Amino acid sequence: MITIPELGQITILIVIICTAYAAIKFKDLLAAVISLAIMSLLLSLEFYILQAPDVAIAEAAIGAGLTTAIYIIAIRGTMRREEE
Amino acid sequence: MPFSEIFLVVGSLLVIFMILSLIRAVLGPTIPDRVVALDTINTLVVASMVALGAGYKEVIYIDVAIVYAILSFIATLYIAKYLEGGI
Repeated sequence: MITIPELGQITILIVIICTAYAAIKFKDLLAAVISLAIMSLLLSLEFYILQAPDVAIAEAAIGAGLTTAIYIIAIRGTMRREEE
Repeated sequence: MPFSEIFLVVGSLLVIFMILSLIRAVLGPTIPDRVVALDTINTLVVASMVALGAGYKEVIYIDVAIVYAILSFIATLYIAKYLEGGI
């Protein structure tokens, strides 16, 4: 019998895989950056559930805040659409 | 069932409800739809962290949720300023 906390953890892992795949497949790079931000914050939540709150703080600071800002600045400097 | 396990169930259910926002983030036709979905998932993650911290009976876990709530809006802020036209 699977309990609800186990179901929540399985959900987190599945959603991490789905958002990582979507970040690869999107042709609009801004949507890919948003998908990568969602993956990063869910990875932070997974670290949190695995009883590592310091790693979760570092992942939240770097992944959700800094990486997205740097990618947005890079997209603004180059182009938004990926070309085939 | 002990009382503190109710908070574990609450936090896990908040995680499961995150799938509905994820569908909007993946399917959403425009960028503002995806940004609103990202912000909704941010809020759900903070609420889930507080509930799980109450379930684990650790005070230090609430601090993680506070730091996360401070930092999580920076991504939304940058995307909003990019859509507006200037960083």
